[in-house]
Amino acid sequence: MTTTENKIDTSRSLYIRYMDSTTDHYLAEGYNNPYQWARFEDVPFTPLKKPLSESRLALITTAAQFQPDKGDQGPGAAYNNDAKFNYVYDLPSNVVPDLRISHIGYDRKNAQIEDQKVYLPLENLYHFQEQGRFAELGPRLYGAPTLRSQRVTSDRNAPQILKMCQEDEIDVALLVAV
Amino acid sequence: MSLIARYLEENGIPTVIVGCGRDIVEQVGVPRFVFSDFPLGNPCGKPRDNETQLGILDLAFTTLEKSFAPRTTVQSPYRWSTDESWRERYLKS
Repeated sequence: MTTTENKIDTSRSLYIRYMDSTTDHYLAEGYNNPYQWARFEDVPFTPLKKPLSESRLALITTAAQFQPDKGDQGPGAAYNNDAKFNYVYDLPSNVVPDLRISHIGYDRKNAQIEDQKVYLPLENLYHFQEQGRFAELGPRLYGAPTLRSQRVTSDRNAPQILKMCQEDEIDVALLVAV
Repeated sequence: MSLIARYLEENGIPTVIVGCGRDIVEQVGVPRFVFSDFPLGNPCGKPRDNETQLGILDLAFTTLEKSFAPRTTVQSPYRWSTDESWRERYLKS
């Protein structure tokens, strides 16, 4: 007999500390230079300039375009460093592209990514656009590389994405971090 | 991704991040974050499950609309499973 029903549910406060487990993992594997995540005291904030229902929305993703010549990128594929991309890309937002996440350290034991919508919610965004939740999707979706270099991300990639957002007259951005 | 959200926000574009890595996003510090407490890889819902997929996006929209200060984290109400063992298995082989 269990007493599960009497236990305090602490799961909501026990979210996984990925930084700790990742650092421990790499130290245990013999790497002595674990990644240092950025930390900022000040955080910018821009209020919405108009109602969401009148706003043009951009989708930004860390998923990679499928590259048939770069090895297994299917659901559950082992970590595939060759499938990484280093430069920002853009694709038309009115067609659902084949994007993969084998280049990312996601939870391969527990994640079920057979349904691309769990990390690329484009079709669901079409649904919300039809419902009028936001005015429209911008003409392009933007792909953001996950690079070790924070300097390249901040000084090269972020400005490129901003420029595309400005060209596309984007009002608000939804960023999906896989 | 957090660095890109910060940059867009500094330049006048409101953002919301949807993700599973709460500690990482909050350490960097972002304007708005919807925390999906699912295994890494599933930020936008469970596979073939409209309720969680649409619910998490709707929460992201509400977070865009209602937030009034930076470092706003909103936790999704969905659980991956009643069995919480997936939390124990990350990076353990």
